[in-house]
Amino acid sequence: MKVLNVVGQRVPMHDAAAKITGQAQYTDDLVLPGMLFGKLVRSTVAHGRIKSIDVSKAKALPGVKGVITGMDIPDRVYGIVPKAKDEHALAREKVRYIGDEVAAVVAIDQETAEEAARLITVEYEELPAVFDPLDAIKEGAPLVHENTPGNVSAQIHKEFGDLEAGFAASDYVFEDSYYTHAQNHAPMEPHAALASYDALNGDLTLWSGTQIPYFLKRNLSTTLVIPEQNIRVIKPKVGGGFGQKIDMFAKDFCACWFAKELGRPVKFLYDREEVFQSTRQRHPMYLTLKTGVSKEGKIIAQKITAHADGGAYNSTAPLMITLSCFFVMIPYKIENLVYEGYHVYTNKPVGGAMRGHGIPQPRFAIERQIDQIAKRIGVDASEMRLLNAIEAGEPHPAGFIINTCGFADSVREASKAIGWAEKRGKLPFGRGVGIACASFPSGVANMSHLASGCVVQLSSEGRVSVLSGAADIGQGAETVIAQIVAERVGVPMEDVHITAADTGLCPLDAGTFGSGVTVRAGNAALNAANDIRAQLFPVVAEALGCEVDEIEAANRLFWVRDDPDRSVGMRDILRQYQYIDRSLPIVGRGAWVPPADSATTLLTNNGNLSPNYSFMTQAAEVEVDLETGRVNVIKVLTAHDCGQPINPMLVEGQLEGSILGGIGYALYEDSTCIDGQQHNPSFLDYGFPTMMELPEMEGIHIDTDDPIGPFGAKEAGEGTQLAPAPAIVNAIADAIGVDFDRLPVTPDMILAALKKQREEAAGEAR
Amino acid sequence: MGAKRILTLNVNGDDYEVVCAPNTTLLEALREKAFLTGTKRGCDLGACGACTVLMDGEAILSCITLAVEAEGRSIRTIEGVSDGGELSPLQQAFVDHGALQCGFCSPGFIMSATELLAENPHPERAEIQRRLAGNLCRCTGYVKIVEAVEAVAQGAEGGAR
Amino acid sequence: MRLPRFEYYQPGSLAEAVTMLSQVPGARPVAGGTDLLVNMKHRVEQPAALVSLTRVSELAGVRLEDGATVIGGGVTLKHVQHDEGLKARFPALTQAASVVGSYRHQTMGTLAGNLLQNTRCRFFNQSVEWRSVRALCYKAGGDYCHVMKKEGVCFCTYHGDTAAALLVLDAEVRVEGPDGVRQFPLAQLYSGEGKAPLSLGSAEVLTAVIIPDSSATDGDTAGGSTYVKHALRGAIDFPIVGAAVWRNGDATRVAFTGVDRSPLRATVLEEALAGRALTPAVIEEVAPLAPKGVTITRTTVQPGSFKRELMSALFARAAGSLL
Ligand SMILES: Cc1cc2nc3c(=O)[nH]c(=O)nc-3n(C[C@H](O)[C@H](O)[C@H](O)COP(=O)(O)OP(=O)(O)OC[C@H]3O[C@@H](n4cnc5c(N)ncnc54)[C@H](O)[C@@H]3O)c2cc1C
Repeated sequence: MKVLNVVGQRVPMHDAAAKITGQAQYTDDLVLPGMLFGKLVRSTVAHGRIKSIDVSKAKALPGVKGVITGMDIPDRVYGIVPKAKDEHALAREKVRYIGDEVAAVVAIDQETAEEAARLITVEYEELPAVFDPLDAIKEGAPLVHENTPGNVSAQIHKEFGDLEAGFAASDYVFEDSYYTHAQNHAPMEPHAALASYDALNGDLTLWSGTQIPYFLKRNLSTTLVIPEQNIRVIKPKVGGGFGQKIDMFAKDFCACWFAKELGRPVKFLYDREEVFQSTRQRHPMYLTLKTGVSKEGKIIAQKITAHADGGAYNSTAPLMITLSCFFVMIPYKIENLVYEGYHVYTNKPVGGAMRGHGIPQPRFAIERQIDQIAKRIGVDASEMRLLNAIEAGEPHPAGFIINTCGFADSVREASKAIGWAEKRGKLPFGRGVGIACASFPSGVANMSHLASGCVVQLSSEGRVSVLSGAADIGQGAETVIAQIVAERVGVPMEDVHITAADTGLCPLDAGTFGSGVTVRAGNAALNAANDIRAQLFPVVAEALGCEVDEIEAANRLFWVRDDPDRSVGMRDILRQYQYIDRSLPIVGRGAWVPPADSATTLLTNNGNLSPNYSFMTQAAEVEVDLETGRVNVIKVLTAHDCGQPINPMLVEGQLEGSILGGIGYALYEDSTCIDGQQHNPSFLDYGFPTMMELPEMEGIHIDTDDPIGPFGAKEAGEGTQLAPAPAIVNAIADAIGVDFDRLPVTPDMILAALKKQREEAAGEAR
Repeated sequence: MGAKRILTLNVNGDDYEVVCAPNTTLLEALREKAFLTGTKRGCDLGACGACTVLMDGEAILSCITLAVEAEGRSIRTIEGVSDGGELSPLQQAFVDHGALQCGFCSPGFIMSATELLAENPHPERAEIQRRLAGNLCRCTGYVKIVEAVEAVAQGAEGGAR
Repeated sequence: MRLPRFEYYQPGSLAEAVTMLSQVPGARPVAGGTDLLVNMKHRVEQPAALVSLTRVSELAGVRLEDGATVIGGGVTLKHVQHDEGLKARFPALTQAASVVGSYRHQTMGTLAGNLLQNTRCRFFNQSVEWRSVRALCYKAGGDYCHVMKKEGVCFCTYHGDTAAALLVLDAEVRVEGPDGVRQFPLAQLYSGEGKAPLSLGSAEVLTAVIIPDSSATDGDTAGGSTYVKHALRGAIDFPIVGAAVWRNGDATRVAFTGVDRSPLRATVLEEALAGRALTPAVIEEVAPLAPKGVTITRTTVQPGSFKRELMSALFARAAGSLL
């Protein structure tokens, strides 16, 4: 048993007090002398050629300091995935969706900038547009990007085992189709950027609400044509991201461009509407599942075909479709499997990474189909999941190495806690229970550049300063890293001061995505802290007259493990360290990259996708109002294997937040797009759950101790958003006997289904 | 049209003289003229509660309140809640319970909850939900926010201030 | 999103307010601003001047006048819902006030503002940038209706909560303008048009809502009133459909909001109920009549068939709770 002092504790976030008093600074809170304000002009057509742009009126407006269009900037595309760059900061010849950026203005204040933007007129030659991926792949469909025939910009085809033989060996084969809709991340902080340029030495600084400072720096460098070493990206506090702030955006580019051109700081802030329409959303997806099972419910073969609606640009397209593919191979053991996935361009808002990233869609389909199959063949849906459960240490068809796996336990525990045996199929009409399962990577492994670095300094006064590249977007990454360092160096949390996500000061980090920060940046911090120990502990050992490996450290105190009375304080040790003429501060450096055989890309190679994997089963109990169609989620519980939590309070927070997000995905949120226009771009019309929608929540910790994660940790940020939606829709099926195959399930759909059910019953009775 | 003039806004007990046009919202005056940026702009259309401040003790949405309407009233913002650097019991409860993540909605929640506890020191859970439902949070799932307010309401953290 | 420019006036008395409204070109009253200012940010309403009613003392307070209950137009919804007398006698109203938007809107929003809020449509309540994608809609000053897909019509829908409650309470409104004071039944406040939904003069101020004593119920078995709202979420959202029912002995009144260009009494349903005691069987029998005579259009994303079903369901629920 490990005895830990800081890790594993319910430590409040190190910046919680700053946030709760309003002192924490987000990008829009920053003010620089001489600052100008920007505004973007966006396309009003879904697909069109730009014939002309008249900026003369805007330029003539007093207070306007600059206007640019796509023709004024370098012809450079950007994108988060190097191979899939396809976006211009401002459109050049063509616009591809309503909301595409076509021009930008800056002025002495926001009001003038908005007014100037409205004075810019754009003439388009409208082109035929396509709004559905299944239409977009048809012969003769309009091409969103001329260089992408068929509008398929990324695809993956993976085959394991022998699919046809598997179907032949199955007792039953079922084919079902599903559709999942667009969900918006809706972080509370709208996207913002502030840039400043030092003309004397050519240095550009950008403060941006971003999840990926280093990728942003790289994209700025290529699009602005400025060397990377002249660009410094600083991430202030970020008011939530959920994946939406993984990318460069026009606001970043334009703030930098104008700052450099005008020699004055420039701020761009998106309206809420722009966040909805012109940033990113969860990909809508069409899925068809053909599944062969034995009569006991063992899945023998499965074929999944997926068409993701990518909108007008790629963003993370290849990664998204790859994750979508690989995570149908877990948490169930399926020997014969084919996944065929397509990322399809349409003239719509752009799909991107969102909590779960390509995986909630197939999870919805798979978890729904399991329930439907269980019902059709007369087996128990919970038992069927257990029957197919993956176990630790088994060989995996795609080459995953699963060292720890609490999955089967999670199915049992969740089923027990929701009262499966007593409730499933046994509650009064209108009430029901459902479960669904998932697994998630702790960051993606076999991509070459996903490394994290960390520097820890121990000063002569005992102050521990941490430099990390990790981007805390509110999840508490900085706190977790500080806890790891505090634990290893042997100091309380208040001694640790972290500076993070400043590319000018901090070591490289991939950024916040793939739920990899705790494992990746946490391990880097652990290594850096170990480096401190390696330098410090010989001095401690000398002082205590013991061996280095006998030393325990906590709360600024060092002692001999088996003889705790022999101890010495941090202050004394640092004094001795100086006395023997070693230089201070002690600097520890660490880096970590997930172990991988080679720096492959997932699109082409199999392999161990992630350093480790979380597992969970989520169970929901719902009550359907049979008269209004409203679904009341009474309870959601999660049996969760996330390894050893570094901070249980933060893990709970992730869990609770993703459950509410999952409820939103299942029942409330629908980023509707009609004729190419996002239709509900506000917090009034896009209704993500309020406190009134809060169900009872319960978390059940499934204990595993992972050998690779720092202190046994695995991811806890994204995985728990995968299963709530199918669990809820499964519970609705249990409640009213209707199998919904699309999301979200809204009251009007429920009433219509109930009506149909009554009519069919009446028809049968007749 | 709509000439600017100097308004005197009493915020957290201090008089701020700010130049505003009639169309300047209280949120804009606070953030851009008085540089009190703790009050957040989340939707700017009165639908998310991030901009909540107290006006004569009542929690209102500053993004759809005119600055001119605030003249002669007493405004309290998040900057005026903690006393000389010491957190209010509500703020302390939010910190201790992990009732915040990204923190962007937190000032608004503190203002709404401060109003609630001033008017009803011991609200039931349902009342807490109803009174705070106008404040959106995308990170926490609200569980810990409710728990933090309950803790103060039940006296575990001392009364609200 | 910045507000457009306007002049601002802050009268201290009703007389002063009426004078300003009649003399300043393009002037409009503003109370809590929770409806008007959002519309102004969207630039679907652009008054040249705002006359603030927040300091007009005549609009404050709840009082009795010859037995009738008089609620000042400037009384906030928060105040309305917590007023013990109103709660006891007119529960439909206090319930409706307590489900408007969120508690933040109830704190800021006034009863007059709630009644006089503009009608709504998914093509109308949008920013100027959003709307620039298509031709200016009829209500916003253009010719075309994107819901009905033709020119010169507007079906913008009324979504206020308290109006339905006040309709079943047979409330009247008192308005004061340059030509003096007039008082008339609440239903007459609404023109029935989507584009210009109110029948109020531009310089008229709604000073009070008057509920007759005869509409008071004391919660005994013979009567009561209630308001039920269906919205997607439990807060913030406007009603998709709201239903109010008042009952006293064998007399029943029913009203809806969220379904047509004005809030309305369910006349067909009421006729079917005339002189009959409410019983579960009667409720079930007449509930399908709820949507009769109502023009439901796709001004929101919900299908009309759903709204019609909701009308029957909410009526049944509200009426059932009064048995
Ligand atoms: C996010 C959000 C959600 C909302 N949800 C709901 C909801 O669920 N249900 C609902 O009913 N409303 C809702 N509203 C609308 C609004 O908040 C309420 O209707 C509120 O009661 C309006 O009152 P007010 O005093 O703020 O009106 P204002 O905005 O001040 O005024 C509204 C209109 O009435 C006129 N007016 C106001 N007072 C007078 C007067 N005394 N005499 C003459 N004219 C006057 C104004 O000129 C204006 O045209 C919502 C608003 C928002 C922003």
